[in-house]
Amino acid sequence: MTKLSVLIIEDEKNIQTFMGKVLKRHDYRILYADTGTEGLELIRSQCPDIILLDLGLPDMNGSEIIENVRTWTSTPIIVISARTSEKEKVMALDLGADDYITKPFGTSELLARIRASLRHSNRLRTNSTLYIRPYRHGDMLLDFSKRILTIGSSEIHLTPIEYKIVAYLAQNSGKVITYASILSNVWGPYADGDNKILRVNMANIRRKIEDDPAQPKYIFTEVGVGYRMAEDEEETT
Amino acid sequence: MLLSATGISFAFFYLGNQNVANITVIYTLALILTALYTSGYVYGIISALFCVIAVNYFFSYPFFKFNFTLDGYPVTFIGMLAISIFSSTTTTTLKKQQRAIAEREKALVEADKEKLRANLLRAVSHDLRTPLTSIIGSSTSFLENYHELEEEEQMELVTNIKEDSQWLLNMVENLLTVTRINDSAADKVKKSPEIVEEVVSEAIQRLRKRLPDIRIRVSMPNNFLMLSMDPTLIEQVLINLLENAFIHSGSTEPIDLIIREGEDIITFTVRDYGSGVEENRLPHIFEGQQLSSDSVDGHKGMGIGLSICKTIIQAHGGQITALNHNQGAEFTFTLPKEKEDTEND
Repeated sequence: MTKLSVLIIEDEKNIQTFMGKVLKRHDYRILYADTGTEGLELIRSQCPDIILLDLGLPDMNGSEIIENVRTWTSTPIIVISARTSEKEKVMALDLGADDYITKPFGTSELLARIRASLRHSNRLRTNSTLYIRPYRHGDMLLDFSKRILTIGSSEIHLTPIEYKIVAYLAQNSGKVITYASILSNVWGPYADGDNKILRVNMANIRRKIEDDPAQPKYIFTEVGVGYRMAEDEEETT
Repeated sequence: MLLSATGISFAFFYLGNQNVANITVIYTLALILTALYTSGYVYGIISALFCVIAVNYFFSYPFFKFNFTLDGYPVTFIGMLAISIFSSTTTTTLKKQQRAIAEREKALVEADKEKLRANLLRAVSHDLRTPLTSIIGSSTSFLENYHELEEEEQMELVTNIKEDSQWLLNMVENLLTVTRINDSAADKVKKSPEIVEEVVSEAIQRLRKRLPDIRIRVSMPNNFLMLSMDPTLIEQVLINLLENAFIHSGSTEPIDLIIREGEDIITFTVRDYGSGVEENRLPHIFEGQQLSSDSVDGHKGMGIGLSICKTIIQAHGGQITALNHNQGAEFTFTLPKEKEDTEND
């Protein structure tokens, strides 16, 4: 099997080296770019399987790169951003980035994000029947074909809207999903831009599936951005 | 001013009351007002001259002609001039004094801010230097003595580096949150309605990344709580309080985070079951000064973290207090509910 290739677009040498070392050890092929122009060239010539993109580059704005790349390929892009601005993250995701990771991050986090994004991009390409396979994490089992959610041995009763939300998150497990994306997916493209209804629903879902809604095990909040569902366990192994 | 005075005088004059004295009074008033609203003597003198001439020209016989030979004319002139100079002098000194007072007050406020900033900077650099020293020291000794070190010692050095840099990160994040508070504006923080449990859960999640061993027991009302706040800032407060409880209590008992809903506030309490806080530190615990003197465990003083908590909570219009209960320490802060929050119930 050929190694999957990762392009790191990052101007900070030390961070480049650190990410490169970690990824090499996990059998990825690494390409480096220090600037946006260099990055775009490498994307065109080498067609990497996944792109790690720092938003603060010396020569161009990271969002320009996302826009540019998205005009011709759906290669997954993970944005590396500083912690402070939620707006920046949401904008990058809206432009077509697949996920983001906040500086500073640990190695396991980085690997998990890459895995999740690669998996979803593979699904898109092969159009495989993976969707049918149930989602499993901890005690939770979500059977998409029967539309049944169980935790341990007990079945959880969800309203149709609640089920749609959970199913959509589970299909994208491990990835952050923005409020806007959930809204348009569950309520349709003409949904009201106000995310309060979603958050109220989410609070109710948590009451049903989490032992302690303040310390969730399955669905995590990314304040100001959206939700992330714990990674499907069968796919991590 | 003078023009309107002339206008009013005309009105007076032609409405029948042909008394020159009234007109002079009106001009005198105009003069004083002019002196009040201009600075220096020049305008005053010019307007005095104008008044005298105007009275002469318009309102004394023969009308619309100058007649300097009028009886008592020099007296009027000198009188007007005297009034003008006198009032100009008084108002000018008054204005000068006012300006001086305002400047002094501003300088005082500035100095106060400057002092605060200097204090904060001093505390911060002290706090930052200690872990940096340890990081530089550990990494240098690792690089220089790589071959002589046992594997265990190597691990210890790198672990130290990791711990200290994580502590630094927390510090930097604390300082970053402060930049989100706008000191001067009326709305100091950007509030948005947030779901309490989401903010709490993200705070715990972020803290757990750093302190995987921490155990927290959350108890909160089962209904759906909405509260207006800047979520990033409140997360930071929760993280600081929980981390303090974990590090300083010297106990492995789980920490209690208790959230209660009141009439128009929501109360958050972080309670640990450890050694508590020394009584003499309690009154000043949020002031962020004790860390330079005799903090118990070296650089991990809680000074800055807590003073930042206080700043954040106050900017939200809430209150924060610390006390010892009989098994440990307890920190409580309140956040006010706003109209939009209760509408959602």
